[in-house]
Amino acid sequence: MQFESLVAVLEFAVRKEEEAAEFYTDLARSMVQPHIARIFEEFAAEEMEHKRKILIVMTGRPGWIPQARIKDLHVADIVEDVVPSSDMGYQQALILAMKAEKAAYLLYMELSSASEDDAMKDLFYLLAQEEARHRLRFEVEYDEQFSGEN
Amino acid sequence: MYKIIASRMIVPNMHILTIEAPVIARQVQAGQFIILRAEEEGERIPLSVSDWDRARGTITTIFMNIGSTTSRLSQLASGSFIPTVVGPLGNASEIEHFGTVLLIGGCYGIGSLYPVARAMKEKGNRVLVVIEARSSYLFFWEDRYRVLVDKLLHITRDGSKGLKGHIGRIPEILTALDEPVHRVLINGCTFCLKRGSDATRELGIKTVVDLNPIMIDGTGMCGVCRVSVGGMTKFACVQGPEFDGHEVDWAELAQRRKSYMAEEVIPLRTSKCEEHAHQSEEVS
Amino acid sequence: MTEKKVLDLIRREMPKQPPEVRKFNFNEVAFGYSEELAVEEAKRCIQCKKAHCVQNCPVEIDIPAFIQCVADRNFAEGIRIIKQKNCLPAICGRVCPQEDQCEKVCTLVKKEGQLAIGRIERFLADWEARQGHVDMPEIPEWTGKKVAVIGGGPAGLTVAGDLILRGHKVTIFEALHKLGGVLVYGIPEFRLPKAIVNREVDYLKSLGVEVYTDFVVGKTQTMDSLLEEYDAAFVGSGAGLPWFMEIPGENLNGVYSANEYLTRLNLMKGYLFPTYHTPIKAHKRVAVVGGGNVAMDCARSALRLGAESRIVYRRSREELPARMEEIENAEEEGVIFDFLTLPLRYNGDASGWVKEMIVQKMELGEPDASGRRRPVPIEGSEVAVPVDAVVCAIGNSPNPLIGSTTPGLLLGKKGNIEADEETGKTSRDKIWAGGDVVTGAATVILAMGAGRKAANSIHEYLMGGDGE
Repeated sequence: MQFESLVAVLEFAVRKEEEAAEFYTDLARSMVQPHIARIFEEFAAEEMEHKRKILIVMTGRPGWIPQARIKDLHVADIVEDVVPSSDMGYQQALILAMKAEKAAYLLYMELSSASEDDAMKDLFYLLAQEEARHRLRFEVEYDEQFSGEN
Repeated sequence: MYKIIASRMIVPNMHILTIEAPVIARQVQAGQFIILRAEEEGERIPLSVSDWDRARGTITTIFMNIGSTTSRLSQLASGSFIPTVVGPLGNASEIEHFGTVLLIGGCYGIGSLYPVARAMKEKGNRVLVVIEARSSYLFFWEDRYRVLVDKLLHITRDGSKGLKGHIGRIPEILTALDEPVHRVLINGCTFCLKRGSDATRELGIKTVVDLNPIMIDGTGMCGVCRVSVGGMTKFACVQGPEFDGHEVDWAELAQRRKSYMAEEVIPLRTSKCEEHAHQSEEVS
Repeated sequence: MTEKKVLDLIRREMPKQPPEVRKFNFNEVAFGYSEELAVEEAKRCIQCKKAHCVQNCPVEIDIPAFIQCVADRNFAEGIRIIKQKNCLPAICGRVCPQEDQCEKVCTLVKKEGQLAIGRIERFLADWEARQGHVDMPEIPEWTGKKVAVIGGGPAGLTVAGDLILRGHKVTIFEALHKLGGVLVYGIPEFRLPKAIVNREVDYLKSLGVEVYTDFVVGKTQTMDSLLEEYDAAFVGSGAGLPWFMEIPGENLNGVYSANEYLTRLNLMKGYLFPTYHTPIKAHKRVAVVGGGNVAMDCARSALRLGAESRIVYRRSREELPARMEEIENAEEEGVIFDFLTLPLRYNGDASGWVKEMIVQKMELGEPDASGRRRPVPIEGSEVAVPVDAVVCAIGNSPNPLIGSTTPGLLLGKKGNIEADEETGKTSRDKIWAGGDVVTGAATVILAMGAGRKAANSIHEYLMGGDGE
């Protein structure tokens, strides 16, 4: 993957968030149970919130401060892949989401280390951290909801 | 307690049981099952419902005598009672106007397939039925099918009726039929379901199977009935029992079905005398 | 001036089967207090003016009053007082987490001599059973109202008991072939003998509660169709789909959910196979994943079936969610505890049976924003543990059958029925809910507490109020 400019990177990131939101919106529509559909609608809204954050960076207003390394509970690495189906539950929804965030994180980290331009390296790193933060939100929720007795 | 209205061997080793269960008879749909216990100490086993009479409040099931519970059931006389019948469980068959459907029933599956054929017919489908058994003397309900469906074909292992062989010969039947089939549905033992699904996979015809894993409560609580379908674990009792035959992990299902093969027959071989002897030894 | 009472701070122990004996049988572990022990223990109560114990009891039993009765050897009055608030005293005396409720706030707790309230409650219930006759309360005239109770577990039994005493007709619909819910399928014989559950259930029946077993609401009949016949319904349908860790190998033979393992043993009496026909395997090395009461029950059951039995828990001993008494019982009996250990996957043999578990060592991370120390894996710490059975005891989601077949009934993310905490009212008119189907897996007494609140609200609604 080649990027001409920081703006191109940000455009790419915006597109990825939009795609993710669309993916969740489609899933929400295909769910049999309304309470599961609502979960995916929430996930879609979270992706749109990310898009908004990226747009803020694009308009040059730094509202997005890089932070210390995000903790990794490694839940996403242990659980098996989820194949989406119309009768899945909250547990499967969370697994699906945390794995998607992990994949996005790995992609940005790879792009970061492949970049020769320092500003671009930093930007990819920043994007990666944001995905990691989102992954952690799903992992913590999973930990709370599905690992209480474990 | 639930009253046995009629009980008889329908063909060798295969039994038909009609039970008084008005609330179940009122609700049951094609493709659903019941769970019953044959006696107070008995195991809970799932059986497909093969017919019902809503007015009389009865349900009918056909099963093969293979383990201790089915053996006990097969010995029950009309007029006797069993302690548990619960249902209707599982989701009803997906019945729509598909066009032409090919329904395949192997051994006891010939029974549970019947309500599906009836419902498919009611929805205006062209219904073709293939029944399969080891030999022609193991077929039953042929007369009922004949008046109901558009075509009735046979496969026997020994060639005594219809095509010789087993369900693997379905592609030949499809070729000979020379008409488009929009959906295949199979009822029968796990082997039959698997072979049938294998046979239609390459033909690209959607194939629905009625799975029969081990169950206990049948309401999604115990999870013993889990099967892998399309790479995900499903609970057959509440998410099935019908699944896409091309997506089922058959090796896993066959293994899980065998978990208690040895134990299934132990109660049959245990004499009560021996037990009493043990008890008196403990006392003395 | 009255004589100043000297504080007796020694909790009277309950006689138990010794560990080396009980680990080989399914008989109840504790024998219960003798009359003498019960009276001695009851005399330790200082009869606080402001009884914190009552406030901390989910069903608000008048604890000082029944304790005083025992001290005075007036057992008949003691049990009567309990039964005003609790229709299942023999059960609660055994399985309530008193250490987190009434006993936790006992004035004597400061000196570690808190009164053994649960043991005295149990004594009274068992004393009454031994008398061979049970005092029947007066049932008021029928109000003309009918209530359907879905699920015959602790929540449903409480609702039924409360409402029948207020003159309503009550029908319980139970999916299994026996009433009691988790009390009969889940909690093992050695912790709660089934004869005791049957006794309490028979008492409810004798009060006039009508019971349909083998009746799955949502399948046998829908909620909406039931409501054509009944003026109100309470849903206490309990546990549903068991959770697995979603790691490789969980569908191998020999990997069970706790629900399956315990149901085979308890409801189906698998430990008496082949006299009872439901088999349970005699495994040699059983690993139970999880650290709650259910995990303890599974591990101790496995031990009694002759296996080497271990608890695999990903946090440390301090975080174990099980009752301390059950942890200690398990330790005494020889259950092995692998703390800070997480299964990663299970490997099977050629015929599809589990043969080993690959586990990873964990450490507790720094406290996060919520103050919780979440376990994180230690890299490179993977080891293989040979096992021939695994029981996954990490919890379950609520039963899905009513939620998925009752339009307009609002569900939470995990499929739990949304119900008001104070009244048990759901989003649907005429439907109340409580117990595990609302909260997810919790305790027997919390389910009973929810049942009590819902019963009050249902009663008000039936008598013309709005149930608020």
